[in-house]
Amino acid sequence: MSSDSRVAAAGLVSVGALTWLMASVLHVANPATVSTAFLLVVLVVAAVSTLRAAIVTSVAAVLAFNFFFLPPVGTFDIADSQNWVALGAFLVVSLVASNLSAVARARTAEAVARREEQARLFDLSRDVLVLPDDRDALTALARAVARRFDLEFVAVALPLEAGWDLYQAGAVAIDLDRRELSTALAAAQTTLEFDAAARAYSGQRETTVGDRVVRLVPLRAGTRPIGLLAASGRVLEPGTLDALAGVVAIAIERASLLDERKAAEITKRSEELKTTLLASIGHDLRTPLTAIRVAAANLQDEAFSAADRHEQGELIHAEVERLARLFQNLMDMARIDAGGVAHESRRAFPSEIVAAARDQVDRALSRHRVSVVVEPDLPVRLDPRLTASALARVLENAAQYAPEGTAIEVTAAVTGDGLTIAVRDHGPGIAAEDLPHLFERFYRGSSSRGRASGSGMGLWIARGFLSAQNGRVWVENATDGGARVTMTVPLADEPADTGAGA
Amino acid sequence: MTTSATILLVDDEPAIQRAVGPLLRSRGYDVTVAGTGAEALRLVAERPPDLIVLDLGLPDLEGTEVCRRVRLGSAVPIVVLSARGAEEDKVQALDLGADDYVTKPFGPEELLARIRVALRRRPSTDAADAGTHTFGTLAIDYDRRRVIRDGEEIRLTPKELELLSLLARNHDRVLTSRAILKAIWGANAVEQPEHLWTLMAQLRKKIEADPANPRFLVSEPWVGYRFVSGSA
Repeated sequence: MSSDSRVAAAGLVSVGALTWLMASVLHVANPATVSTAFLLVVLVVAAVSTLRAAIVTSVAAVLAFNFFFLPPVGTFDIADSQNWVALGAFLVVSLVASNLSAVARARTAEAVARREEQARLFDLSRDVLVLPDDRDALTALARAVARRFDLEFVAVALPLEAGWDLYQAGAVAIDLDRRELSTALAAAQTTLEFDAAARAYSGQRETTVGDRVVRLVPLRAGTRPIGLLAASGRVLEPGTLDALAGVVAIAIERASLLDERKAAEITKRSEELKTTLLASIGHDLRTPLTAIRVAAANLQDEAFSAADRHEQGELIHAEVERLARLFQNLMDMARIDAGGVAHESRRAFPSEIVAAARDQVDRALSRHRVSVVVEPDLPVRLDPRLTASALARVLENAAQYAPEGTAIEVTAAVTGDGLTIAVRDHGPGIAAEDLPHLFERFYRGSSSRGRASGSGMGLWIARGFLSAQNGRVWVENATDGGARVTMTVPLADEPADTGAGA
Repeated sequence: MTTSATILLVDDEPAIQRAVGPLLRSRGYDVTVAGTGAEALRLVAERPPDLIVLDLGLPDLEGTEVCRRVRLGSAVPIVVLSARGAEEDKVQALDLGADDYVTKPFGPEELLARIRVALRRRPSTDAADAGTHTFGTLAIDYDRRRVIRDGEEIRLTPKELELLSLLARNHDRVLTSRAILKAIWGANAVEQPEHLWTLMAQLRKKIEADPANPRFLVSEPWVGYRFVSGSA
């Protein structure tokens, strides 16, 4: 039994009760009093229920009024013709009042429904603003639509070159017919009309998948259809569906704009890197090449003494070394970029690692006093070659920026973090503004720009070699001047078969 | 080899100092070395050299700034060392008063030739404005405004003659397009290099045996032009 008929029944019962009350208990005889009382019942029914229930109640009231109160009582006859007027007036008034009340109620219900839908749309538009910037954005969008509009199934369908990209959400899964989607999109592409009564643009379609009715709504960016929104579950007004599709279309546009911007950003960054790389390598190649070219000519020059020639030979040697180092840096950089730094743990003594690192850059260190403290010098398990290469870069950097003749102190120890090696120099220290950028590629300290040595690759490579082993490197200024670079490398587990490796 | 001109070599790269310093000394020049712009300016003031070899990439001052400051009080020839691709810096240095440039990586002969030309143009010897100047098969008579090639007179328009004279008087030395435009068409024309391209093409047709491969009127790409005398 619907609520409608329940109210109608309640109206009939009320009419009966009122009749009994007025006829048997109160003995009311005045037709005006009786009709007003009945009118009240009719209005109450009209106010809480539909027009139909109100009419049923009115008719019952008219009959009861006639039968019990209008003389001759007990019949449906009416003696006094005036009472015909009273009965007619009662009927008309109750019907008109019922109608008015029903219309007002329907308007209110509609307004409430619309406000609710607006609130849902508003919530959805807020959801759209906080969608993630990644590939899951569209699934999250479908989920938001399903949640906000209490739908059992929502799908955002975007056409591909061939086929469809579907992002679904909701409690049920529906396998949409791709051909149906293509037809709907094709229809949306050919016509665009606004249906004023439905407050919706054309192109909405209904399709049935199994026992479920799915509504397909075109997603339009401007007037261009970019895909479809499929919804199933609650029945939504076409206008609401349209507005909903509008919000979804905006969200999709936003997601694709973000994608484009990200791609542009990546391109720009790689362009910048290329420019910096070329400028840096250009400088690092030009100087040694010039020196080698001039020195080689000097070597052939008769005017040069044996001692001078020896010195020119030395110079060529040193500059070739510099080129070789540049080449090594480029190779290492490419390896780190390609993610191709494999690490291979084995047993090694910290002192061995420090010695290997010093050996790699002994020429660069030749004008500094290097002291080494390794305590305790117990074997550790890590990749000694990568660690030594990283340390060599740090040492080279210290030698470049600390004045000649100053001391460079290397301390190595095994701590809770693994092997920790610190390099302390007695140079000018590092300017506060440089500290956060020191390990960036091609970054050169603000005071050293335009300076001869230093390519801005060394520390970046050191960091790359260390992170390949999950190690870390950081720099700080010592309280009494100079800089301290500290690196840690976590120790690898001893392999089960300890006998073989070391 | 009898030159005992003094040269100030300004470069912060020890490798360049160690290669170029001995090179210049072996040619009889008296060489002083400066590693920074400030040191260079101090040395120029204390002991004016006959020529400066100036690297544009200095740690403390822009090389062009050193050029400008030197020019404030001295006409000493300046030969600039610069990187390929840094043409703007070269042009700027030349416009600020540098006499010539060499691009790194350069060979010793290139640098020595530039130095010889620049030294020849020392202020005292800079009065070759009159008379006839002969470059191989080409003779320019500044007084009578005549140009003779292989014994035959070549008819030049006044502008062509002006351009040829300007370059020939500064032979073996690069002149920036800006400087040429300014000298011939005036300050308002410096942004209109097409004047110069057209005139240069006409002049090459008349002067050069093979205008496509000029022997005298040589382009210095992105910088300007140089009249090559063949004797530098």
